Amino acid sequence: MSMSDNVAPLARPCAPDPRPRRRIGRPVLTAPALLVVTIGLLTPLALMLRNSFNRFDPTELMISAFTAENYVKFFTDAFYQEVLLRTLGISALSTAICLSAGVPVAYFLARHVSALAKRILLIVILVPLLIGNAVRTSAWMLILNDRGVLASVLGYFGYEGQLGIMYSATAVTIGLVSVLLPFMIITLNSVFEAIDANLEEAGSSLGAGHLTVMRRIVLPLALPGILAGTVLCFILSMNAYATPVLLGGPTFHMMAPTVYQQVAKAMNWPFGSALAFILMSVTLILTVGVSALVQRKYRRWSE
Amino acid sequence: MSEVILQDVAKHYGDFVAVENMSLRIADGELVALLGPSGCGKTTTLRMIAGFVDATNGRISVGGRDVTGLPPSRRNMGIVFQNYALFPHMTVAENVAFGLEMRKVSKVDAVKRVDEALARVRLDQYGDRLPKQLSGGQQQRVALARALVIEPEVLLLDEPLSNLDAALRHQMKIEIRQLQQSLGLTTVFVTHDQDEAMSTADRMVLMYKGKVEQVGPPAEVFGRPRSAFAAGFLGIPNLLAGQVTAEGFVLESGMRLALSGQGGLAGRCFLALRPEEIALATDPLPPDSNALPGKVLIMTYHGSSVEYQIATEAGPVLSARVRAPGLGGQPVLPGGTSVWVHWPATAGVLVNEH
Repeated sequence: MSMSDNVAPLARPCAPDPRPRRRIGRPVLTAPALLVVTIGLLTPLALMLRNSFNRFDPTELMISAFTAENYVKFFTDAFYQEVLLRTLGISALSTAICLSAGVPVAYFLARHVSALAKRILLIVILVPLLIGNAVRTSAWMLILNDRGVLASVLGYFGYEGQLGIMYSATAVTIGLVSVLLPFMIITLNSVFEAIDANLEEAGSSLGAGHLTVMRRIVLPLALPGILAGTVLCFILSMNAYATPVLLGGPTFHMMAPTVYQQVAKAMNWPFGSALAFILMSVTLILTVGVSALVQRKYRRWSE
Repeated sequence: MSEVILQDVAKHYGDFVAVENMSLRIADGELVALLGPSGCGKTTTLRMIAGFVDATNGRISVGGRDVTGLPPSRRNMGIVFQNYALFPHMTVAENVAFGLEMRKVSKVDAVKRVDEALARVRLDQYGDRLPKQLSGGQQQRVALARALVIEPEVLLLDEPLSNLDAALRHQMKIEIRQLQQSLGLTTVFVTHDQDEAMSTADRMVLMYKGKVEQVGPPAEVFGRPRSAFAAGFLGIPNLLAGQVTAEGFVLESGMRLALSGQGGLAGRCFLALRPEEIALATDPLPPDSNALPGKVLIMTYHGSSVEYQIATEAGPVLSARVRAPGLGGQPVLPGGTSVWVHWPATAGVLVNEH
């Protein structure tokens, strides 16, 4: 056997295989997922879209029709717009808190912690996600209510007044941040780990202080990942259900519980569907819009 | 003047000693290569000079200024990393300009100096490109330009050539040496490749297990390695264990070899023989010459030379490198051929175990 016979397959692993090979593969293998997405996601969505154009009657419930009245109702009733604005506000606030709290933690984990300690810390950070949503939120109720854990701790230090956190935007935000922060930290941590630490050293050797290195080198490189984490948190909090219901109480309305209330309590499927579509569209437009803006700025090198 | 002085510098990670009390004086304008296998502490030493790693002990000074406690951003050192570490989101010109920007150099001045720096590494047409649009060798030169444009007191090179292919590595080696000499820059060059170290450095510092094994000009270190490790690392695979006696060098098997002029050592030590110093004979040689009978194990071809592994009857396997047949050497000896390896009494170096 000559030398080149020996070496060729090693040197060019992508060389076309001379043997004919049947390519079942990619299209067939995606079929199960495709099927699930079609049946489990697209069909109900289409149905819901159709429902949102139906008419509601208190006695006959849903009447087949093709009307925009559900959407008109949303845009003419200040109550529902307020619900949407509140949802947007709470989501933006929770996401902002997660971002500003998550960046330092994720960066610290990526740069200054040994491998073993990091594994342990990541598990600790993930613990909130291992507990059921309702259970975790109930725990927050026990902590935040006026006779709860926080109140007694503060009372021990001499605080006498009413806490008044429970059933407020504050309580909902605290609850949301506690669920979303792990998502943010995990996403950002992998982003920071992917950034070569040598780049930071190169920056500092060229005369940049810590803050300048962060601002000029780390953050621009982390931006796509920061965006991903932000979008993830924002979407999750826009659609949060248990947290606003349990911590916000009966008078605090956000979109997801309102959809549920319309569909399951008022039995107004058409309006519930319309609300769901509005929630989805607003979330989609905002996240796609922000992503496009950020990515346009950094497409030059990230492609 | 930017003489670099390391005084009892040490780095401990818990119980692990990465660098043990190292003292070294690097003269102004000198290129010193820190050479050694991975884990020998050479990169840690470089990183302590750069300020990325805090020394556990000792002091580092540059041009008389104690920099031991200073952050990297205030040491004024140019660093070229093994993976170049170019900022991927900045153009070549922005990369080179970064250090000037940090030094608050005026825009006009900066543009001029960036152009000069890029011209110096023959990349003046590439300022608008992004790093990923350049080849490895070009990225390497950008890294060099970025490190040099700030007019550093010291240039630190961390395995700068190991990601390049052989031809480019050879060319960059010469270019780095030329740049360093024309700028008169005090330079520390970290490498695991003895050839890179020898061909670029004024002095080599051979390191092993956190300690300096041997320091000296390349020719001296190469010609007279001090220890078995140094000999092995510098490409002398043949180490014969034995005793230096009045009659010469006595192998463990009792066989006596003639020495001439090696000197220096007595008692138990090693005779280090370069493969090039060993000749092969197919006919028996007179018994009192430095000759060991053996058998050819394997032959490897190296273009201008042929290397044989010979299993000697005395025990050790020896490497012998002889001229290739095409260049006037003897015909190739197939595996299994009985041969006598022999060398002049002046060949070989006596080295200690450590």
